[in-house]
Amino acid sequence: MERDDLQQSERPRAPYRVIAHLDFDAFFAAVEENLDPSLKGKPVIVGGGERGVVATANYVARRYGVHSAMPLRTARRLCPHGVYLTGHHRLYSEYSKRLMDMLDEYSPLVEQVSLDEAYLDLTGTEKLFGPPVRTLRLIQKRVMDELQLSISVGLATNKLVAKVASDLRKPHGFTVVRPGEEEAFLAPLPVERLPGVGPALLSQLHDRGVVTVGDLVLIPPHLLRLSFGEWGELLAHRARGEDPRLVTPREEVKSISREHTFEEDVGDAGVLESTLIALTEDVCRRLRHKQLEARTVTVKIRYSDFVTHTCSHTLPRPMDVDEVFFEEVLALFRQGRRRRYHLRLLGVGVSNLVPRAWQDDLFDQELPLLRELDLKLDTIRDKYGKDAIRRGAAETR
Amino acid sequence: MKLVTSKQALVECLGIVNKAVSSRSSIQVLSGVLIDARPDGIVMSATDMEISIKAPLAGRVDQPGSLVVPARIASEIARSLPTGEVTLEQRAGETQVEIRAGESLFDLHSLPAVDFPQLPAPVGDGFTVGKAAFLETVDRVAPSASRDETRPVLTGVLIHFNKTDVRMVATDSYRLSVKQTPIESSVENTLQAIVPARTLLELSRIASGVADDTITIVPTENQMLFQVGGIYLISRLIDGQFPNYRQLIPETFDYEVAVDHDEVLEAVRRVGLLAQKNAPLRLRFADNTLAVSAESQDVGKAHEAMPIQYSGDALEIGFNPEFLEAGIAAVKEPTVYLRFISPLRPGLVKGASDDFLYLVMPIRLSD
Repeated sequence: MERDDLQQSERPRAPYRVIAHLDFDAFFAAVEENLDPSLKGKPVIVGGGERGVVATANYVARRYGVHSAMPLRTARRLCPHGVYLTGHHRLYSEYSKRLMDMLDEYSPLVEQVSLDEAYLDLTGTEKLFGPPVRTLRLIQKRVMDELQLSISVGLATNKLVAKVASDLRKPHGFTVVRPGEEEAFLAPLPVERLPGVGPALLSQLHDRGVVTVGDLVLIPPHLLRLSFGEWGELLAHRARGEDPRLVTPREEVKSISREHTFEEDVGDAGVLESTLIALTEDVCRRLRHKQLEARTVTVKIRYSDFVTHTCSHTLPRPMDVDEVFFEEVLALFRQGRRRRYHLRLLGVGVSNLVPRAWQDDLFDQELPLLRELDLKLDTIRDKYGKDAIRRGAAETR
Repeated sequence: MKLVTSKQALVECLGIVNKAVSSRSSIQVLSGVLIDARPDGIVMSATDMEISIKAPLAGRVDQPGSLVVPARIASEIARSLPTGEVTLEQRAGETQVEIRAGESLFDLHSLPAVDFPQLPAPVGDGFTVGKAAFLETVDRVAPSASRDETRPVLTGVLIHFNKTDVRMVATDSYRLSVKQTPIESSVENTLQAIVPARTLLELSRIASGVADDTITIVPTENQMLFQVGGIYLISRLIDGQFPNYRQLIPETFDYEVAVDHDEVLEAVRRVGLLAQKNAPLRLRFADNTLAVSAESQDVGKAHEAMPIQYSGDALEIGFNPEFLEAGIAAVKEPTVYLRFISPLRPGLVKGASDDFLYLVMPIRLSD
């Protein structure tokens, strides 16, 4: 809390913010093409790993309808002659770090979102570097010259509009949305351009006659709230190009969470609870990997009508043992599920994180032994994949 | 009201009652000290509604009366006064109290004594216990009590009196101290209560400064009065069930090591300097050597070895350095005995006999 206040006060005052979103174009595939120039012009698909999905497809492959998150099996059907690679992940991290280091030269407010994208708050840097548009053009050129990679850039007054803008004219796009023009910029775009509007929501919006972002603005916010809960309210703001989120440089992790969206909505308590167990196992494993302990656990429940509830509980002291969180999560879920609708999504998160102490309690002398079990399971999963071993109670997906 | 005392008496008396002054109460009068001057003597009182302390102030009463002075500023004034006689006077109809010493003059706002809460006055049959044995037991056990108010019962010390012994137990859930001490006591049958650790540590502080050999204890259902050297300390008792501490103590241990008390205590203190921010203190027992080590990221590491009698399998176990140090320090004997089962089970620190036990949960060491 204090830290946020500090950052707020450290931010230059300005009538509006100058926020850019920068995104590598077909990142993994582009790195592969740098590595092996003979790949240029061919459809390149990087993917595989645990889930067997496409991580990145280059623009040639995209012409065949291949896109990221698509199962590799489908990709091979659409583009049988494509070049399929499992990728060089260490190299991607290196390129990513080089971009982030470069961005650090221009502003202290760099927020890396993933390996291939970042937000940059350039508010107040004009005196140092000149107009932000010029600065960003320079960055785009430097990335091309120094990393031999193409990025797309969106410049706006908030993160949401900057992201939509950078995504608009890929590859090598450069889109500027001037202050006050956010709503007009978004209005003609298809509504699925808004981050967070996935296929399921899209079909519900289409049912209501919403095709463009502008259509969404015409729906009174309270009706969106009625249909989609808090998320609906957020959607109303996003459709108007409003987004108060700050560019927050990456710091210590504040929470760890995992969600699962069911392919079909689920009502069966057994399936739901075993999903929660599996999510909890994943969250706790990540917690231990990061050498943290957590005090607060949160369960997120989204019903088929998009109404979303979260409930949390704070433990008397921080923990990192699966068994403790299973009990908490199931108890929260049983209390928190108050409607008879089927569920479309479940999530488990932990927060209130502290560096692990492993100082156990005389009143629970079993706990250290249960942790030993978790650590053994972690070792097996690190070696053979996270589904190599699961508790009987956990739903494998 | 008018009374004459000395600087030293005033400073000492305020020092005793100050510990009961409420530090965060929104009730203004509780942040003050009641001065009650009667023809038969002067008494100062303070209370935070959990602990109340009444102490006599040596001095002469010229005109009886009572008032409440703000504790903090009154103490600061008292300490700053020149040595010698001090006069406190409140003239009729005024709210100010005048504090005079030498050429110094203070006019301090005071509050009316009627606003000060009536201090509880337990009545009934009391009993006496030997002061030295009682305080020794407090000092060795009470530091293990919890300071975390979320489990109030753990902020207390379980005290059990009988005619020949007193037993005290305290735990903050990470460590547990149990001490049984022979004591001269006039208690009828037996008595058990959970007394706030804070009360006992205050009592220890106050009682160690007076000459009496006994402490008088008057228990009631929810309060306990301690009286020593004319000073009264009245404490609320903690309601609730003290955990069954006996079941926390493993019946058998697989390893026992005898170590020189002072040597191991000093090694733990020294090496513990490098066990910062949750870093554990490592003890490694192997080949007739105990190695104590610690490492803190970005700070450095420390290592110290000492010869011991140990020929079992190598055992490595981690502890919070403060917890281990407190346990060893509480053993007042030349040899301290450490007992273990495994790096994941609690360890026991004790002297030659079983009258004092200190059980402490380890910290898991990363591989």
